[in-house]
Amino acid sequence: MRPPRALESGSFRFAILLAAVFALGAAALLTVVERSVGRYATEAAADGVTTEVAILSDEDRAAGRAATVQAIARRERASREHQLRYLLVDTRGRALAGGLPPGLARLGWRDVTLANPDRHESDDPRTVSLMALGTRLADGAILVVASDTVEIEELRGGLLRSTTAFGVGITVLVLVGGFTVGSIFLRRLERVNQSVERIMAGRFTERLPPIGMSPEFDHLSANLNRMLDRIEVLMDGLRQVSTDIAHDLRTPLTRLRQQLEDLKANAPGAAFETQVDGALAQTDRILTIFRALMRIGALEAGAGPRRLVAVDLSEMMERVHRAYLPVAEDGERRLIADIAPAVTVSGDAELLTQAVTNLVENALLHTPRGAEVVIGLARRGSGAAITVADDGLGVPEHERDKVLRRFYRLDSARASPGSGLGLALVAAVATLHQATLTLSDNRPGLRVELFIPARKPS
Amino acid sequence: MKILLLEDDVASRAHVERLLRAAGHVVDGCASGPDAIFLATSQSYDVLVLDRMVPGVDGLATLKAVRAAGVRTAALFLTAMDDVDDRVEGLESGADDYLVKPFAGAELLARVAALGRRPPIAEETTRLVVADLQLDLLKRTVTRAGRRIELQQQEYKLLEYLARHAGEIVTRTMLLEQVWSFHFDPGTNLIESHMSRLRAKVDRGFDRELIHTVRGAGYRLDATA
Repeated sequence: MRPPRALESGSFRFAILLAAVFALGAAALLTVVERSVGRYATEAAADGVTTEVAILSDEDRAAGRAATVQAIARRERASREHQLRYLLVDTRGRALAGGLPPGLARLGWRDVTLANPDRHESDDPRTVSLMALGTRLADGAILVVASDTVEIEELRGGLLRSTTAFGVGITVLVLVGGFTVGSIFLRRLERVNQSVERIMAGRFTERLPPIGMSPEFDHLSANLNRMLDRIEVLMDGLRQVSTDIAHDLRTPLTRLRQQLEDLKANAPGAAFETQVDGALAQTDRILTIFRALMRIGALEAGAGPRRLVAVDLSEMMERVHRAYLPVAEDGERRLIADIAPAVTVSGDAELLTQAVTNLVENALLHTPRGAEVVIGLARRGSGAAITVADDGLGVPEHERDKVLRRFYRLDSARASPGSGLGLALVAAVATLHQATLTLSDNRPGLRVELFIPARKPS
Repeated sequence: MKILLLEDDVASRAHVERLLRAAGHVVDGCASGPDAIFLATSQSYDVLVLDRMVPGVDGLATLKAVRAAGVRTAALFLTAMDDVDDRVEGLESGADDYLVKPFAGAELLARVAALGRRPPIAEETTRLVVADLQLDLLKRTVTRAGRRIELQQQEYKLLEYLARHAGEIVTRTMLLEQVWSFHFDPGTNLIESHMSRLRAKVDRGFDRELIHTVRGAGYRLDATA
């Protein structure tokens, strides 16, 4: 199983989601702030213009036209960077004062854009945007006061830039934070995962380390550990029972066997001897079953093969093929080898040999006469695939899992010799080598494949 | 042959002693590791038969102590354990052979005989002769009564092992281990299939059979009937 990377982790995905929410929030905030600040600035500018218009109208009424013209000239000079601009036009449309073009002499509020009259240097803006208010004075002349809106635009631009910068900054921070938290979390989970893999490989006494990060996770690993405790107790019980039975019954059976041998040695008579031989053969059969049971039990309880060596599978398979050729011939079956040369895996040579012979014996035993059994070995990836395929009756799909169990035998196989432990042993050997055992349809017949992945010899 | 037997179970020890004596061996039985170490280092034996699982000093430790004292007597482990690693561990500690309990009496006798008659130093034999059968170990050729017999690789290995132990009983298990390197009991009797082919080539057409089946035990290659 490939360990997940930080970028694929749940916490990183959560961080992305969080960053998206932040970005959206920042955008909404920007819009709201920009609008209200803009409105406020516009109102402030409009207030300034309205006040100027009111002051100049009063001046005109109280002090007369000449004073107004002077006042406008004075104000235009004083106005900082021409934030306020003026225009006074008489009833005949002649400009009396102010720098704005006479064409702007209209009543009411208007937004206008003019070529910048103050443009002296190339980096000065080409145009100015103005907010203008025109009023009719008592004699019918028109007074226009306009306020430069550049500052409002600048304010809005500044707001947009800083909010965008903050939004991007927060998003990046959230992503980095999510990645960091994800990595830390994954590292902790990785320890738990390694622990789980060791437990699955047979170290049933090992327990998961606490995940950390938060009490919920520790609670989870504590619960999993309690589950493992329970499983261990159950497995121990099961193993104990079968191993105990095998072991405890083996001792009296051994004595029985010895007594039968002594009996045979002491009592002459061919008929008697034949009967004792029969009893001995039966005892041996029971003992063989017990031995196989105990072996499977030991393999299943074991923490992996302890003597991992480089096993020359090609040589081993050739040896098995040569050993069983005459057996196949005598049983009127054909045994064909398709063995790739120099295929090596690391494993337990003896157990692998026994697994392969079990498969070959099964194929030779449970096929009709005239059947063809092909044993194959091929390199696949960095591992090796051992196949034993026959063209016999096969195993129905729903039985394929069951035949790997101890003592499980197909109805069609009950009449033939065997203990129902052969495939169980193959399965145990496969588990020990982290190999995959696959039973499939050979159309017709059964095809068994044992794929052994590459591992470094210890 | 003089044999030292270490076995703590009284019934088993009596049985094995009876078995070995019936075959004409002299047996010293003992029930503990220290006794066995004392006997093995103070007297001369042909074969040591040691139970691996005895209380106190076990068979493994006993053999290590005996070997440390410089005694090179061939040793056979008897054990109820038949894990692969147990066997390897036993052989590494200096045992020459390994037999898993329960075993057939004939199996033990054959192995003890093979161990006791083992040449102390590997002799450079290039030719094995049994009656009119000759094996050239260098050319890997077989002739009988001057007539060349063509054998396949497995058949040759089988015959060579029989010839090296000519006159002795060789059990099926010994053949499985020595010729095929199978350290487990296969369900089918593959030895029989190989043996019948070997017989057809070595014995058929000659007036005297050299390969004999010993009922309930194994096979024997020799000139006597």
